[in-house]
Parts: sequence; structure tokens; C-alpha cells
Amino acid sequence: MVSQARRIYVQLMMQVVGRAMQAISEVDDEVRKETAVLPDGFLFEMTIMPDGPALVMGKMPGGRLRYMGEKGPAAPDLSIQFKHLTHAFLVLSFQEKTSQSFANDRMLVDGDLGYSLRMVRVLNRLESFILPKLIAERAVKEYPHDLHLPKKLIHGARIYFQVATNLIDTVRAS
Amino acid sequence: MSNYYEFYCPVKTIAGQAALEHIPYELTSMASKRPMIITDKGVRGAGLLDPIISACEDGKVDIVAIYDEVPPDSSTDVVRDIAKLYRKEKADAIIAVGGGSAIDTAKAVNILVSEGGDDISEYAGAGVLKHPLKPFFVIPTTAGTGSEVTSVAVISDPRKSVKLAFSSSFLLPNAAIIDPRMTLTLPPHITAATGMDALTHATEAFTCIAKNPLSDAYASAAVKKINENLLKVMDNPKDSEGRLELAQAATMAGIAFSNSMVGLVHALGHSLGALCHIPHGVCMSLFLPYVLEYNIEQIREPLGELLLHLTSPEVYAVTPRAQRAEESIATIRKMRDELHRRCDLPRTLEETGKVSYEQLDKIAEMTVDDGSIMFNPREVSREEARAVLEKAWS
Repeated sequence: MVSQARRIYVQLMMQVVGRAMQAISEVDDEVRKETAVLPDGFLFEMTIMPDGPALVMGKMPGGRLRYMGEKGPAAPDLSIQFKHLTHAFLVLSFQEKTSQSFANDRMLVDGDLGYSLRMVRVLNRLESFILPKLIAERAVKEYPHDLHLPKKLIHGARIYFQVATNLIDTVRAS
Repeated sequence: MSNYYEFYCPVKTIAGQAALEHIPYELTSMASKRPMIITDKGVRGAGLLDPIISACEDGKVDIVAIYDEVPPDSSTDVVRDIAKLYRKEKADAIIAVGGGSAIDTAKAVNILVSEGGDDISEYAGAGVLKHPLKPFFVIPTTAGTGSEVTSVAVISDPRKSVKLAFSSSFLLPNAAIIDPRMTLTLPPHITAATGMDALTHATEAFTCIAKNPLSDAYASAAVKKINENLLKVMDNPKDSEGRLELAQAATMAGIAFSNSMVGLVHALGHSLGALCHIPHGVCMSLFLPYVLEYNIEQIREPLGELLLHLTSPEVYAVTPRAQRAEESIATIRKMRDELHRRCDLPRTLEETGKVSYEQLDKIAEMTVDDGSIMFNPREVSREEARAVLEKAWS
């Protein structure tokens, strides 16, 4: 029962995080600076062993990211894999920082390590924008000292709006 | 410290006086009769192979081949050539003798001769290997890298101009043989740089985010040995006991950092080394105090604890708890000053004479893409990495 609830939560969070990564890449210059160096068409996957849930992001021109769903059109160029659903739950429920999850050997990287660091920084920045500061501080190694409330509120609202719109579009299309 | 950790080191350590003479027994206990030595010209020229060959001859073991042309930055071609020699001579075990490059090359050769093929790049990455490899022994000739107890190897691919990383617990040797004769003739500059390399491994292992109780034990003991022996050996290079202590410290620091990883000192050092071709140990020595200062608020507790091992119980006892972290950094600075006085080991980027101020931006850019940065206690931005470089400039 607990395991089933965790799976549903992680599945839902993967969909939210994927859409939110797409949204933040459209509203935040810092994120686009991180992703700009990735080749266009680059596929990033975050998944859980042995068979998901997963999210796949595609790199578009100009540094924007596009959420491709659970599966991409081809094998991913970079894959970050949680060893177990419980480990993904710890990160996605903000009980364990992404960097600590790496340090605890709960995740594997298959692909360019430098690119994986960039994607982790994108995730950290996303969490800093969309979570209340108290929770974000549990999720990221260091809360950005230059992230002030007005910017956080405006960017956060735009990200939430885009995620909601995207979800509604997906539901309508299915 | 995290509430979860993993620790793994199955390498048998054979250390001390007459350790080399244990090699024949270790080989025969693994049913190996035809070992091959992989080393470099410097090691052979210094006569370091002589006691190994003699120990094997006395133990009725024939060394069937010696490859002594491993370059400082080994390549896929070198690995292929050595694997060819191994097969031609029908060798059945590998003995690596040397520093990081010879050991990494031997690890890569062991992949090819065990798994088959000529293209080592096919095995790049983590977790590709699924089976144990051929019997493999390592005899380090520097007291610094700790490669004898790490499960990684880095080899250049000159055609693609990239460095290939290999990571698998199967790369770990069956045994590391630490004999003081192997480091007795190490020149002062290399003794100093490799000693500081080991000190950095231990210090970062003790202060970065994957630290754990077992790696802490190895790291703190390594720091103590380096503190007690590095300057002593610099003043008396023929101090065989001191040399052995330093070699053991390097191995212990290697066990520590391979189980808890390293942080910003290594991220900066890898970038500086790649761009300006400065030896790894020099890079480590150069950045260590500046990075500790940058991280200080996050590592105050463990860094303060290290003071006990960096100095003495007396100094530790009279230093107020709130000042121990700063005192640890001051002690490391003093050690660097002493090494600079004895062998001109650079303390700043400017003192290396190989770095231009204009390169700092590029080094900072490369630093934030280096894997080690993930384990640093602070999140490091390009601007912050640049600020650390600025402090380390002069």
C-alpha cells in the first residue's frame, strides 16, 4: 500500500518536474545558460531502476528544454538513474538533496558527467523557484543568495501557470 | 554527515620492510606463473625494478615481459600495444610499478586482456565490466595518488581528443605492495607534491559530503602520518621508516577518498592540470587552503577536528574550539611555506610560472563542470570558483 502510494507520488512528480523544467527553461536566463552548451536534440532522461517511472527532456535551440514524456524518440544521451523507487521518493519529496543522493550512491549517471552536473543545477534552480524557501533549503545544497522574493514569486507563478496549462492540454488531448 | 554510506576496499595491503619479497607467494597463490610488468622509463632508470625482479627470481617466478614506455599521459594506443605484448608472451598476471599513469594504464590493459578486443574505448564508463579480471598487483613508486586502491582509470583517446574514464570495482588490484625501497629515491619536489596530494585526498575525504565513519578513520590517520613524516623525509630523504609512513598514508588517503569522494580542490585542480599541464599534486597543494577557507562555515566541525591530526594533542587542547578550523588552515599554510622553502613547491598560481591571469575564467568555467564539485559541501558557481582562483593567484 505504502509502496503503491509512493509509486503514484513519484509518477506524478516526474510529470510535474518534466513540465516545470520545460517552463523554467522558458522563463529563466540562468537555466538557459546552463543548457545552451548541450547539443540541440540532446535527450536527457531521469528514471528509476528497473523500469521507471521516468521523464525525458529534449534540448531545443536557444537553450530551451522540452518535456517528451516517459519515453524519448531515441536512446537518451544522458541518463540519471535512481537505484530504487524509495531513493527517488526521498529526493522528490524533498527529504534528501539531489547532491546527497549522489553522494549516497543512490543514483547512477550514464553519459557525460559535466552535462549531468548542469542538469542537476537546472533541477536545483527549479526547486528554488517553485518551493517555499524553507522546503527548498532542504532540497538544494545552497539556496541561491540572489533569489529575492519578487523574482521568485513572478517566475514561480509563470512556471506553475505553464505546468498547469501543459497538464490541461495533455488531458484534453488524451 | 549523511545517515547512509557505502564503503568498499577488497585490496590486500602488503606493506613494510621486505614487502616485495611477498610477490612470488601472492602470484602463486593465484595460480599465476607468468607475470608481466608495466612501468615507465623513469622507474626502470632509477633501478626500482631490480629488487622486484630479484625477489621474483628468488621465488622461482619468471617475469615474462616488461613494458617500460608508459608516458605521463597514457593513451588508448599504449594500452593496445601493451595488451598485444601480454598476449604474445602468454602472460597470466600484471604487476604495475609506478605512479598514477602506469597504474591507470595497467588497469586498462587488464580490461583488454581479460575481456578481449583491442579497443579500450568500448569499455569506457561505469559498470561496464561484469566479471573479475586477471590477477593484478600494484607497486606504487610515489606516495600520493592512492591509485593502488581506487576503482577508476583515466586514459586519453588522442583521436577523439578526450579523456576516457573507466570505473568498476573489478579494476581494483588483488594486492597493493608498499615497500619503502620504492619511494626512497623520490626527488624532493615530487616527494613534496605527492605528499600534499595525499594530504588533500584525506582532507577532502574528511570534509566533503560523502564522508562516513570508515573513510573518516582512514583519512584522519593519513593526515596524522603526513603531518609527522612529510617534513622529516624532506630533511632526510633516506629515512626509510618515514618513507614507509608516507606511502602508507597515501594508500590510506586513497581508501578514504575512493569511498567518500573529493570536492572543489580536485575540481579546480583537474581544470588547472588539463589547461596548464601542472602536475596534479602541485595543483592540490596550491588550492587546498583557499578552498578550505571558502568552505569553512560548512566544514567548521570536521576541519576543526583535523587540527588534532595536523598538529599535536597539545596544540589541539590549547586551541579554543571556535578557532580550530582556522588553525587547521594556518597549519596547512605553514606546511606549504616549509615545502616552498625546501623545494620551491608553488603556493600560488603566479608562483607556478605556467598560468596566465587571462586563463582564470576558463579554469573557473571548466571547474563547475567537473564531477568532483558535486561532493563539495558548498554549491559552487562560476563566479565563486573564479573568486577562489583570484585568491590563489598571488
